[in-house]
Formats: sequence, C-alpha cells, structure tokens
Amino acid sequence: MLVRAVWVLVLLVTGLVVLSLGVGAAGLPLAEVWRTLWDSAETPARLIVWELRLPRALLGVLVGAALGASGATLQATLRNALAEPYLLGVSGGAAVGAVMAAGLGFAGLGTLATWAFAGALVAVGVVLMLGRDRQGARPPASLLMAGVVTGAFANAVIMVVLAQSTPTAQRNALWWMMGSLSAARWSDVAGLALAVAVLGAGLLHMARSLDVIALGGDTAASLGEASERVAMRLFVLASLLAAATVATAGLVGFVGLMVPHLARAVVRDGNSRRTLVVAALGGSALVLLADLAARTLRAPAELPLGAVTALLGVPFFLWQLRRNR
Amino acid sequence: MSASSFRKLRVLLVVAALTNGCGERRDTTPLPAAPQRVVSLGPGATEIVVALGAMERLVGRSRWDTWPDTVRVIPEVGDAIRPSIERLVALRPDLVIVYPAIDNAPAIEALERAGIRVVALRIDSVKEFLVAVDTLGTLLGARQTADSIGSVIRGRLDSVRAAVQGDDRLRVFFPVWDQPLMTLGAGSYLSELVDAAGGVNVYADEAMPSLYVALEDVIRRDPDVVLTTPKGRERILANTRWRALRAVREGRVLAYDTLLVSQPSTRLGEAAASLAVLLSGARR
Amino acid sequence: MIESRELTVRYPGSDRPALSEVTLQAARGQLTALVGPNGSGKSTFVRALLGRAPVTGGSLRLDDRSLVEYGDRERARRLAVVLQREEPVFPMTVRDYVALGRHPWRGAWGPVTAADTTAVEAALHDADVAALATRRTDTLSGGEWQRVRIARALAQEAPALVLDEPTTFLDIAHEMDCFELLASLARHGRAVLVVSHQLNLVARFADRVGLLSSGTLAAFGEPGAVMRGEILEQVYRWPLVVSRDPAVGAPTLVPLRRHR
Repeated sequence: MLVRAVWVLVLLVTGLVVLSLGVGAAGLPLAEVWRTLWDSAETPARLIVWELRLPRALLGVLVGAALGASGATLQATLRNALAEPYLLGVSGGAAVGAVMAAGLGFAGLGTLATWAFAGALVAVGVVLMLGRDRQGARPPASLLMAGVVTGAFANAVIMVVLAQSTPTAQRNALWWMMGSLSAARWSDVAGLALAVAVLGAGLLHMARSLDVIALGGDTAASLGEASERVAMRLFVLASLLAAATVATAGLVGFVGLMVPHLARAVVRDGNSRRTLVVAALGGSALVLLADLAARTLRAPAELPLGAVTALLGVPFFLWQLRRNR
Repeated sequence: MSASSFRKLRVLLVVAALTNGCGERRDTTPLPAAPQRVVSLGPGATEIVVALGAMERLVGRSRWDTWPDTVRVIPEVGDAIRPSIERLVALRPDLVIVYPAIDNAPAIEALERAGIRVVALRIDSVKEFLVAVDTLGTLLGARQTADSIGSVIRGRLDSVRAAVQGDDRLRVFFPVWDQPLMTLGAGSYLSELVDAAGGVNVYADEAMPSLYVALEDVIRRDPDVVLTTPKGRERILANTRWRALRAVREGRVLAYDTLLVSQPSTRLGEAAASLAVLLSGARR
Repeated sequence: MIESRELTVRYPGSDRPALSEVTLQAARGQLTALVGPNGSGKSTFVRALLGRAPVTGGSLRLDDRSLVEYGDRERARRLAVVLQREEPVFPMTVRDYVALGRHPWRGAWGPVTAADTTAVEAALHDADVAALATRRTDTLSGGEWQRVRIARALAQEAPALVLDEPTTFLDIAHEMDCFELLASLARHGRAVLVVSHQLNLVARFADRVGLLSSGTLAAFGEPGAVMRGEILEQVYRWPLVVSRDPAVGAPTLVPLRRHR
C-alpha cells in the first residue's frame, strides 16, 4: 500500500516534470522538447529547454521536496500540526536579508540569495535564543512563540527599510517575497540540490529519533534521547532546508504545512522516515503543479508562485484549525 | 502564516500605491505675482526649473533631484513621494511642484488648504516633458525661455529622426529589471526615444508604461537588440539563461549612458542621438 | 536496582530545594512505592532519574553505577519510565506505538530484529493490550491508553521500571489490574518503583514505601511501618484512621471529615 503510494508519487512527479518541459510562452511542443534533449548543437530550442525549462522544473522538484521534508520535521519536533517553516521566523529573517540587499543596496556585497540565506540563519539563531527557558531547555511552545515574535519583528524591519527605498527595490523585494521559479538557473539547482542532499540525509539519519521526539520531551528522554538537544538539531536542519529554498526561489508558503498532513495520512504508522520521503515527493508534486498553474492561468504573464500556494494553503490551514479544535 | 501573508499584503499595498497615480494638476492661471519661493519634488521638474533660469527661486528639492550638479546646493527636503508636509509648509513656498502619485494626494490637499499653490506634473514621456516645460514656463513667467527649450528639443529629435530615416527599424527589448523580468510598454519614455532613434519596442503593443513578462515570451517576440544599462548588460552576459535569446547569442546587448538616457531631461535630443548611434552600430 | 543517596535537587531561582537528601532504594524483585502530598517532590524524583532535574547534591545509582555514567540509550535499556502525562500529537496503531519502546535498542538504520518483534508481542500480552494492537492511539479510552503506555515501557525490556501515577483516570477494576501487573512484574525480578496517591492500594501491594514530605523523606520501609496514623496525619495535615484489613492484614486508611 505504502510502496504503491510512493511509486504513484514518483510517477506523478516525473509526469509533472515532463509536462513542465512542454509548457512555455515560446510554444515549444513536447515532441520537439524531446528531440532537443539529445541535441548537442546550441539551437534556440535546445537553449530554451536546457537553460529555461529544465532548471525551472528541477528547481520546482527541489523546492517542493525541501519544504515538504522541512515541514514534516518541524511539525513532529514542535509537536504542532500547524507548524510550518514560515511560521518559525525563517521567512521573516530571509525577507529582511533580501529587502536589505535590494532596498539598501547591500547587493553589491553578494547576491540577494546569499543575503536571504544569511537573514534566515540569523532569524533561526534569534528564535533558538529567545526560545530558551531558564533551565536552558527549548520547549516547543517557546520555540513557536519565539518564531512568531521574530517574524513580527522582521515584518517591522521590512516596513522601515521599504519605506525608504526606491520603487524598483520595492518591486524586487515584493517579487521575491511572493516566490517564483521563473529565474531558475543551473547554479541555483546545483546549490539547492546539494543542500537537499546533505540536510535531507541528515534528517533521514535522525528519523528514528524524530519518531521519539514527537512523543514529547520527557517521554523521549525515557526512551534514551537527549530530547532538547536532538530537537534543536532537527529544528536547525529543517530551518536550514527551508532557508535554502528561500534563497533560491523566494517565499513559497504553505507547502510545508499542507504536504506533511497528506503524507501522514498516506504513511499512517507515524514512521518519520517514510513520512519524510512521502512529504518530499508530495512537496515536489505540489510545487510543480502550482508552478504550472502560475504559468498558464494568465499566460503569457506569470502569477507569483507563492500567491498560488497561499491560495491553496490558507483554506487548508483554516480547515485544519477547525478540525484541531 | 498570518505574519507572512499580512506582510505580503502590506507590501502589495505599498507598491500599488506607488504605481497608481492621482490626477495631474496643470492649472496655469497666472499667480498674482511670479512665484519667488519654489519647492520642486522630482528630478525632471527640478531640472526644468533650473533650465528656465529660476534656480535662485528654488528653496527646496527632493533627495532624488541631483541633476544638474548645481542643484545640490538647494536644501533637500526628503522624498518626492509622501513628502513631509510640515517641512514644506515651514519653507513658506508660493509654489510646490510634485509628481501626481496617489500617495501625494494628502500632501497636495494639505498644501492647498494652507493656501500654497501646487502643480502636479507627470514627466514620464517626451510629450509630458515638453508639456511640463510649457506649464512651468508660464507659471514662472519665463515663457520665452520655455519656448526656446521646447523648440531646441523638438529640433534635435527631428534631426535624429531624419538621420535614421530609411534604415531598418531594429526590434528592441528593454529589460529594466531582471528579477522579476520587467520591461517597458508603448507608454514609456525609453520606448519613445528608441522610436525616434530608429528602433521599435517589441512590447510596443502593450500600452502600460511597464510590465512583467516571461523570458520565453521575449524569445517568442525575438528582438534584434537588447538595450539596457551597463549594469544590466553585465548581469545578462553573466547569466547563461539569456543565451536562449537570439540577440544575446549574436552579441547585440547594448548598454546606454545611464546619466543621459534614464529619465526625460533637457538633453532629450542628445539622448536620442546616442541611442541612434548605438543602434546603427548594431545594424552593421 | 534504583538507589538514591542523599539526593538533593534545587531548581534555579527557587528558594528551597525540591528534594533534600533523599535516600531510598527500589530493589529488584520488589514493588517500591513513593507516596506523599501534592508538591512533595515525587515527580521531581522521576525527572531526576531521567536526568531532567538539576541535581545539586548526592547521587542517583542504577545497578551499582552512578546514573550520570550511563549514556542516554544505555540508561533507557536499563530503566523504563512511564510519565504522568503524555498526549500523542500524531496518531498511529497501538503496535507501532509499543514498538517505539524498542528505540533504545535500535540504531539509526538497522532493520527490525526478531528480538524486537518478540519483545513487542510480549509487552502487548503482559500489559493485556494484545487485543488493541491494531487500534489507533487516538481511539483509545483513558484506561486503555495507560495500559498501552505501560506496554511501551515493557517493550524496553529494562530491569528497572518507574511509573508516575499510572492509575490516574483508571476505574477500580483497572486500578487493581494495574497494581496486580506491577506486583507480578516485580515478582519476576524487575525493580518496580511506582509513584501513587492510592495509599490503600500501595499498602496492599507494595513491598516498600517511601513517604515524601516537602522534599524530604519522612519515612521509608515496609507498609506497616510507614503507614501509621500519626506519621500520615502529620505529612498530609489531615485527620485519618488507620486500621488493619481483616482479610489481607494490610493497613487500611480512612480519612475523616474534619467537621462532624
């Protein structure tokens, strides 16, 4: 049953990648896309496929996988089914970094992506610091509160910075805060692939600990996990994963919220390793679907990817909120 | 969740506010006396006031108004959009020139309530620039100077047009920003300028001054030339994605002189001429 | 065997220690009970066993080694703890949940071994929840959930077992069931330490009783020696009568009404 679900997801993701390769304003039919994949000459069609569509589709796969796995980890670590990467200050920090780069002209000192990533790291650091109680432990509820507060503060900083930057910088920051795969480059794909491979392997390695951490601090300790330390490690890995997506594709919200729920419904036995794999595949499928919608609904103009995922995610969030009551 | 969506929404509002305009005010009813204390908020307007020989009457400018260099001695009063009303009133101006952005509506209303004459001039295109020269010439009592500035600019534009008459009209794409990819429509100043210089904007069918486009859509339109700032040129050449565009593969990414071309100015003619030279270089 | 020697625990910022020089033993083959009023330090003692309370003096020992010398996993293989409360966030089947008790025995990657399967099935059987094995944890009643949690602790196959108020939420039959189970586990060689408010059950089942009062051990010994009227009245600050159960000979406790 589970094996079949995984195969279905793999096929779905593959199918969506193929579909993505056939969609674009330049109107290149799939048959021609297929031919150009094996072309060696630098034909215009080959350039469109190799420089625009393929990196975009692959970036979608990676962003989705990273957000799905990150969300699944955070929900289990914080024992909160409504947790998601962006609730925990990651997005706020990344946005501050990006807005500073764009708005205050720091961009000369590295790319916007680097600044976004650095911002996310600072935010995670602040959340970890604020989320400590007197005994140095970091209970989930405190981390959650610290994340929300950090996000609110980041929000204020963004407003201050944007208020005194040029319309161009504001436009750039806005685009970035709404998330998009449209600027995908091979270097982004390679960077994110590396992050997903390393951080994902770390999460999979710690998956059994995550099973136990999800039972709560004291119970996890009784089963031989140094729970706060392990929970913090998981928190940091998951946050870095989300930050890496933010640095390459901007803020794509709600994927990390929706996908883990669906993944748990598929996995059913609460096994974190399987949940992580299913959530990663599900995330890829969701982001590819959302990107296809973003590209085709108002073609040739593109909708922001983050707006599409939010349109799906907000009703889902509210439905969960009601169900959890 | 809520924090980030609130943020998105608020940024959206800020940007919307900046791109939507409020109505222009070009009332040229003569003032009882030619204004002696003028505040000009906007690079184009400030340059025109100086060109009209009224610089000594300027008592304030926005922080974006730095051309010609001599205006830097005039006290800077802050932003051109949402200026500090208090600060403006304190300068006791008898004329304030603003950009008709919707965000400026409260300032315009407040200044008028304080009995200060306000003109709101959109100076985004060649035509608007010439109208602004005319309007300000009348208001500042410098009709003759205004007429001569206007005819010099028209004359130079005409001679550029005449020079490129008969050449192939190159299809031009303007990437004004790359993330997100933004370009200029027919209503833009650069589009007009390129038109005079012997080219045609591949997005001339879009009436909007600026719009977001997908790179694949640009590929479909297949421009002959990419025209951008020197910085923009660097970014395009550094990013292999752009090689999907024929103009880039064939090495026709042109950079214009930012100081000369970026915004409408009294040197409109020279700007058009410099673009004509760039384009004719690309034809060879 | 679990042993505390002059154990003192003081939370930072608090003006008096939560536990002060507590010395007691829970030996193998015995059911040891820890009783005392609310706030007397019972749960702190359990947390200290998990290394989750700031020990400022004395020591805790497990099988003749200081507890701090054990690694987290190693300790969990020797000492299983069922905490007072636990609310699952993500539901799963009872068997999958009980299998988490094998965590201290498993590495990050290895497959499920025959020993794991045997231990889980034995635990399901011993805690009398085998019939619930395929039920989901979010469909259990309070009593079923308690027994499932005990099963998870049993799957740890630890020679020492600690339970913090395991009979809260249980009706009389399940309470009795629970204590019968604990007593039988002790008879089969485990060291069982149970924190409880059920003084009458403790008096009937426990081999040893420790009575905590404001962080100090007021008495420790056989139920008959500890559960005496004058001691309990003082510790609980409530008038009560202790008689002897005619059938089993254990002390029986009846709290009195203060007025009339």
